[in-house]
Amino acid sequence: MTRRRFLGTAATLGAGAVAVPAVASPTVHPPGWSGTARVEKIATTCEMCFWRCGVLASVEGGKVVRVEGNPDHPQNQGRLCARGNAGTGLLHDPDRLKTPLLRVGERGEGRFKPVSWDEALDFLAGRLVKLRDEHGPESVAFFPHGNGARFFATLMRAYGTPNSAEPSFAQCRGPREVGYSLTFGQGLGSPEPVDLEEARLVVLIGSHLGENVFTSQITAFATGLARGAKLIAVDPRFSLAASKADWWLPIRPGTDIALLLAWMNVLIAEDLCDKEYLKTYASGFDRLANHVREFTPEWAEAITEIPAAKIRETARAMGKAKPAVAVHPGRHVTWYGDDTQRARAMAILTALLGSWGRKGGIFLPTPIPRGSFDLPDFPEPKRGRADGAGKRFPLAIEELGVTNGLIDATLSGDPYPIKAWIVYGQNMLESIPQPARTVEAIGKLDLMVVVDVLPVEQIKYADLVLPEATYLERYDPPTIVESAKRPFIAVRSPACEPLYESKPGWWIAKELAKRLKLEAFFPWDTPEQHLEKILKPTGFGARELLNRGAVAFPGKPYLEDRAPVDRTFDTASGKIELYSEALAKIGADPLPRYTPPVEPPKGFFRLIYGRAPVHSFARSQNNEALDALMSENEVWLATSVARDWGVTEGQRIVLENVEGVKSSPVRVKVTEGIRSDCAYLVHGFGQQSRALRRAFGRGASDNSLMSRVSVDPLTGGTGMRVNFVRAARA
Amino acid sequence: MARYAMVTDLRKCVACQACTVACSAEWAVPAGHARTHVRTTPLAGSFPNLTSSPVVGQCNQCDHPPCVEPCPSGATYQDAGGIVRVDTDVCIGCGFCVDACPYEARFINPRTKKVDKCDFCRPRIERGEVPACVATCTAHAKYFGDLEDRNSEVSRLVFRDGARRMETRTVAVGPNVFYLGRPEHLDLVLSSYPPRPPRLLTAGAAWTRLLKPLVLAMVGMTFAGQAVAFFTQLHKGEGDFEE
Ligand code: SF4
Ligand code: SF4
Ligand code: SF4
Repeated sequence: MTRRRFLGTAATLGAGAVAVPAVASPTVHPPGWSGTARVEKIATTCEMCFWRCGVLASVEGGKVVRVEGNPDHPQNQGRLCARGNAGTGLLHDPDRLKTPLLRVGERGEGRFKPVSWDEALDFLAGRLVKLRDEHGPESVAFFPHGNGARFFATLMRAYGTPNSAEPSFAQCRGPREVGYSLTFGQGLGSPEPVDLEEARLVVLIGSHLGENVFTSQITAFATGLARGAKLIAVDPRFSLAASKADWWLPIRPGTDIALLLAWMNVLIAEDLCDKEYLKTYASGFDRLANHVREFTPEWAEAITEIPAAKIRETARAMGKAKPAVAVHPGRHVTWYGDDTQRARAMAILTALLGSWGRKGGIFLPTPIPRGSFDLPDFPEPKRGRADGAGKRFPLAIEELGVTNGLIDATLSGDPYPIKAWIVYGQNMLESIPQPARTVEAIGKLDLMVVVDVLPVEQIKYADLVLPEATYLERYDPPTIVESAKRPFIAVRSPACEPLYESKPGWWIAKELAKRLKLEAFFPWDTPEQHLEKILKPTGFGARELLNRGAVAFPGKPYLEDRAPVDRTFDTASGKIELYSEALAKIGADPLPRYTPPVEPPKGFFRLIYGRAPVHSFARSQNNEALDALMSENEVWLATSVARDWGVTEGQRIVLENVEGVKSSPVRVKVTEGIRSDCAYLVHGFGQQSRALRRAFGRGASDNSLMSRVSVDPLTGGTGMRVNFVRAARA
Repeated sequence: MARYAMVTDLRKCVACQACTVACSAEWAVPAGHARTHVRTTPLAGSFPNLTSSPVVGQCNQCDHPPCVEPCPSGATYQDAGGIVRVDTDVCIGCGFCVDACPYEARFINPRTKKVDKCDFCRPRIERGEVPACVATCTAHAKYFGDLEDRNSEVSRLVFRDGARRMETRTVAVGPNVFYLGRPEHLDLVLSSYPPRPPRLLTAGAAWTRLLKPLVLAMVGMTFAGQAVAFFTQLHKGEGDFEE
């Protein structure tokens, strides 16, 4: 059925459209659907968030009626989170983008007319040709997110622009990747390889696992706890993880580096480090020991407001549990602008405990084979990147780029004018801080294109909107995960035909390539051919992967699995660099140092934010099942703060930041479970797109209150916990 | 004979609500209702010495189910595996059982207008699968099995590891949903969400005893439609009476 149709799309006349047995045997429908009709299960990959769990989509009469976890998938082993289980809600969301839309009226009015794909693609190709002729291909900037974006990434490189940047770098995990790379010679990747299930002690610094849910990470976390792992939760808020912790350390926000330095101080002073490991693998220990000598727990107590005795106690617990200590590196880590240094401090702590590459610590990726196409050479851009990666932000990773750097360049025209944005799979007004600047930058453009599934806020500013098929309706490039104990390749393939006029990203990119005469960069006709080529060196065929959803390879997750000669680190010295020559060379602190965070003006409170288990960023608020579980966020206020503000539980208030920006009304949650120097919001609410009928205006948008950022000079990461709010006077 | 039971390990549960959504998807429960609810207790203590716990609630398939007796149509019954079930062909949607359940596990499904609740995924068990909530639980915190089988995982968790029932001295109806957790967490859960004494046992029981045969007779005479109307009326009357 669907599978066959998909595989045969272009090869309809071809020889081999063979019937493919479904992964699981057909099951009988439970009641509540439609009697005893038979259903078929298609193995594919979830995209309700970016974790990419394996799902089985039950298809009945061409309609996906249910998604469940794929028990044979090496990552999630049959489990799905709430969002994953609510996947059909996205597919059947009545507010979906249904046809290509072309702007009529002024930009920002949000008035469009539906057009055909031919019209939309001809329009876009025509504009891209004109931009290339008049301003050079570098004048087009691309903002991707997620797997599906990779076909567009190829297209943009073939077109000739180096300007591509994802929020997953400068608004999320960029500083972490850089900080760990400086130390261990490699970043963590995604999913982050934290050996939570084997840990004897888990250290969470701002990570709120449980509220922040990625299926397999939760499985590992809970399994570790059940096996008796101890837990340290460092968080200004009494998170779900804090409720399970042996030590909850309600730290003063922005002072984590001080705590980390004091932990190092105790580990070194009390001789609790893994000395053997350090001697074999690390360099710079003496310099580090000298550096942290003055950073005693008493020094840190004055800064962090965590009692020195607790700092000692927790450091000793780490020393005792080493090397099976999982210091979780965090994921969204762009907080205060010193984030690369905080990541360095966490990496150094991990090294002192001998936990990198060790059971219960951080495990290592295992390379797995993959094929590639012989593409023509990509044109060499005449002008370099406009986002400052490699220049203004010397350590930014160019493949990921600095979104805010591109926005800066668009606003200033420096180093050259940016004339067009193509935004794929993300809502920039919620994913990138300072949304007013983003809107201002859009005002400078000749062309703004949005490719998405839902009518997110920014489509209001678009000239052209292209409706993409959801993850249940499309093929995406295979997911290749090496940072897993059993590395694997998984596939996303359609369980049903795209609804309405929506189209898969590969098709859109390929059709554009045709019109731009760049077809040579897409040397395949069907998704199956694309997949076949990538799988070539693995020994697995496309058909097998499509049937099973994922194939796993043996892993070598720990140093001990590798021959001594292979236990090297990709740093200049070949060792773990506790002291970073690379940082010294560019005039940055070679050893992490505490810098005090910006303090709020009187009467204001620091705005901190996080996630809820039933929502993915700002992407899931329109989903019927998830909205029913959490339809708005609340602002958490300490009991004493609520009293000072004169507000009570459940009351709706408007938050106002220092710059006078106001939120939409949000309910107050009065709690003992937060420090009295901050206020907390779950991210992703308060959306302003009227076309999202459920999500519109529910709760408050933390992002809208982020008028300030503290930019990390090393990576360009936007520290966002430097905004302050109070209750607006009515 | 089997005696099915569920154990939830609250040390592992992270309140992610995957179970809730999976269950609703499996049984087409309309949004806004659910067969299984995840809550987090109010905080006990004061900053920074705080305690709270997630807890997952559903029908407890009680040994002595207080919801069976008040059902005027005979739709609610206990099956051979100890599972308390609702025959939706017979259910008239009166909601007496909803009031009677100490665990607030029952609701009127607005789509079917019949009572709805967890049945341990009976049809899945019969296919040899585990319940949908167990299959999806991200934390592997839920266990399902047969207590009659002394080698089952649930037997081990209940009889060896001391998984606890959520019952009090006043409401002890033999729930077959058990919990593992730190003792202070289990105490907090029980004191935050104690089972509620069945509401219909006094006045309601009288109504029931009086009307049950009548309804059966009417259903028997295929005056089902009228019976429903009659009961809806009565139920409303009862509600008014209570307020
Ligand atoms: S963590 Fe949840 S939303 Fe993310 S991929 Fe897995 S099931 Fe889907
Ligand atoms: S056992 Fe089945 S019906 Fe009961 S809560 Fe779990 S999924 Fe729902
Ligand atoms: S799925 Fe598991 S971890 Fe999540 S709320 Fe339900 S029982 Fe708890």
